[in-house]
Amino acid sequence: MSSRIRRLVAVTVAMSLNFAGMVHAAPAGIAPAAQLIGAEQVADAAAGRALLERTLDRADVAAALQARGVSVDAARERVASLTDAEAAHVAAQIDAAPAGASDVLGTIVFIFVLLLLTDILGFTKIFPFTRSIR
Amino acid sequence: MRRRRLLACAAAGAATSGCAVLGPPPQTAALIAAPPAGLPPRVDLDAVPFFPQTPFHCGPAALASVLVHQGYAVTPESLADQVFLPSREGSLQVEMLSATRRAGAVPVRLPGELSALLREAADAMPAVVLLNLGLSFVPAWHYAVVVGFDLPAREVLLRSGTTRRMTMSMTTFEHTWHRAGSWAVAAVRPGRLPLTARESDAADAAAGFERARAQPEVRGQVHGSVLRRWPDNLVALVGRGTARAAQGDWPGAAADFDHAAQRHDSAAAWHNLALAQWQLGRTDDARRSARRAQERAEAADPQWREAARKLVEQLK
Repeated sequence: MSSRIRRLVAVTVAMSLNFAGMVHAAPAGIAPAAQLIGAEQVADAAAGRALLERTLDRADVAAALQARGVSVDAARERVASLTDAEAAHVAAQIDAAPAGASDVLGTIVFIFVLLLLTDILGFTKIFPFTRSIR
Repeated sequence: MRRRRLLACAAAGAATSGCAVLGPPPQTAALIAAPPAGLPPRVDLDAVPFFPQTPFHCGPAALASVLVHQGYAVTPESLADQVFLPSREGSLQVEMLSATRRAGAVPVRLPGELSALLREAADAMPAVVLLNLGLSFVPAWHYAVVVGFDLPAREVLLRSGTTRRMTMSMTTFEHTWHRAGSWAVAAVRPGRLPLTARESDAADAAAGFERARAQPEVRGQVHGSVLRRWPDNLVALVGRGTARAAQGDWPGAAADFDHAAQRHDSAAAWHNLALAQWQLGRTDDARRSARRAQERAEAADPQWREAARKLVEQLK
């Protein structure tokens, strides 16, 4: 056996020992592949924000907000600044609006106006995370 | 939902009068005033197949039309069982999406704008739409496929009911579509995305596809299509990372999680990055990432608090 091959074998053995050591170092019960958080869970967490964004895309919502002097861009910015959990909280309010009712639009606009103006101005305190500027 | 299903396929064309005196609704008016640049005046996707609906089966007929157009071997009959399976509280729209996924295609929600539907048609992408041919309080639900338009004539071209080539005035279409929540969906092959899809809808589509299909190669492809257009999308980065991990490509997975963690400072991304680093033997990095996951979970993403806490424990 040439010294070259011998060295190769030695390195291989050393590496496998090293690898074995690494595996042993892992505490029992950790399974990286199985513990990964899946994209669908992340998407579910972001679903509230997506609902708010889609709601703001609606032409009738935009028009109704504008009619009350609230710019859709400001509303969009506000939604973007919410964490996933906060967005889910607001989205739940919109989701709770009776689906077939004639005044869903009114409910949606009311929620956004609350979120954007009165809560932030400190007149109301509906959402726990809005910080008053007063 | 039962009531909705029974009403789902009203005869197309009924209850469409009575709007004319009010003038065109906002989107139609905007399209007439300023047609989107680059849009041809007329489009007719004649190649999109037509399946005349049997009673109450407009959903499967519409779905078969777009799926066969994309090269999937389905029939309205084969889809009917899936779409009409009695479901708990799931709406019919949800069943349309899951039937699309089971056929192997990716359903992607389109923006609720008339101009988006026209741009898709001009891009040879037919869209399934839900119409409410009745009034908001007496709904008559109907699925149809948008296969073209005629801007000068102000018409939308549909595969609808038992009519292969139905022309509907844009005004009527907009009213009936709007009353059904402006719901429109395109079905694409994994790896492709409709032209007008929004980022959140594309990511939703990829995540939903993940739920339905196990093969990591295909999942990776779908998330990859989202990342080609939006390289920083959190859901798609996490999705492609987990798909890569499932194929044993841990360096690739770590790269995706790292990108997501750096860009979004998301607890879920840090959590996954820690696992990938651990798998690669980078134990110190793994511990650091796990601690960051816990910090972020505490600060902003409470739903990952438990997973992050557990991981920090495990990696000690």
